[in-house]
Amino acid sequence: MIRIAAVGDVHVDKDVVGRYRPALEQLPDRADALLIAGDLTRHGTPDEAKCFATEFGGLAVPVVVVLGNHDHQSDQQQQVTEVLTDAGITVLECSSTVLEINGHRLGIAGAKGFGGGFAGACASNFGEREMKDFVGTTEDIADRLGESLRSVRCDALVALTHYAPVPETLAGEPLEIYPFLGCYQLGNAIDSAPTALALHGHAHHGSERGRTPGGVPVRNVAHPVIKQAYNVYQLLSETVDSQLVPA
Amino acid sequence: MTVQFDLEAEIQRLLTEHDRIAEQGITVHRRENVVVLGGEVESAERRDEICRQITGRFPEIEITCDIGITRAQAPSEVEEIS
Repeated sequence: MIRIAAVGDVHVDKDVVGRYRPALEQLPDRADALLIAGDLTRHGTPDEAKCFATEFGGLAVPVVVVLGNHDHQSDQQQQVTEVLTDAGITVLECSSTVLEINGHRLGIAGAKGFGGGFAGACASNFGEREMKDFVGTTEDIADRLGESLRSVRCDALVALTHYAPVPETLAGEPLEIYPFLGCYQLGNAIDSAPTALALHGHAHHGSERGRTPGGVPVRNVAHPVIKQAYNVYQLLSETVDSQLVPA
Repeated sequence: MTVQFDLEAEIQRLLTEHDRIAEQGITVHRRENVVVLGGEVESAERRDEICRQITGRFPEIEITCDIGITRAQAPSEVEEIS
């Protein structure tokens, strides 16, 4: 059995430091790893990354993250990544990692992802250079996420993105902005590998649960959606116990 | 009608693009002469800054703030994925 804690869109800056920590101190009693689905910071500055590392680093479990669009706002995503890596946090971008947990290999492949929309209402790689660049970025990230997912050898495989891979978990957001919240190409990438669970954020007004066309469970773990410090998901179950902490 | 739409759009862009706010998850709805803000943010300081910036940019507009602070307690349940 593996238990994964997950949250996204925590948007940490100096005002937020300390809010999550009481719940995070309890995390090792509840889960074996923490995955964070992007928008770690508000503006993507190294100083905010230090705030994030203070809040989410130094836990007794591995922490694996992807960046979100907010973490790109200051064009300092490389420095942000370095701050996080120096704090012992694993940052994935079209890459993967394997964690040894309870005798099992948990594989995690992650990417920020990008927009583009979903089947029947998506952008095409056609027309103006700006449009081709937009959709080309979508396609490139999804292709590389798929390669990362297919390269992992593990007992349970998790896909971690910021942008959404399916429209179901966007329900509650205005339809007009779906193309800025995710793309179907991410869902195809997730379906190209034996993925057990896909986690994403970005859609603050979205819904929690969906599935890819191939049947992979998708969970939107954006903090305003889950309304607690993190959710916990159980994989490779031998027995089912919905209570995290004995009464 | 056009004025109403433009006001909401301008507030949305202010909330996203202002370097002290950068919030994309705030809803903006106009009720008569009142603009109602909704959604959740990570701190009371951020909520107060949102109201301060909108009032500063649009001093003639009455603002009602229904923005909440997202709860951050530890979970008590686990979901089995199958």
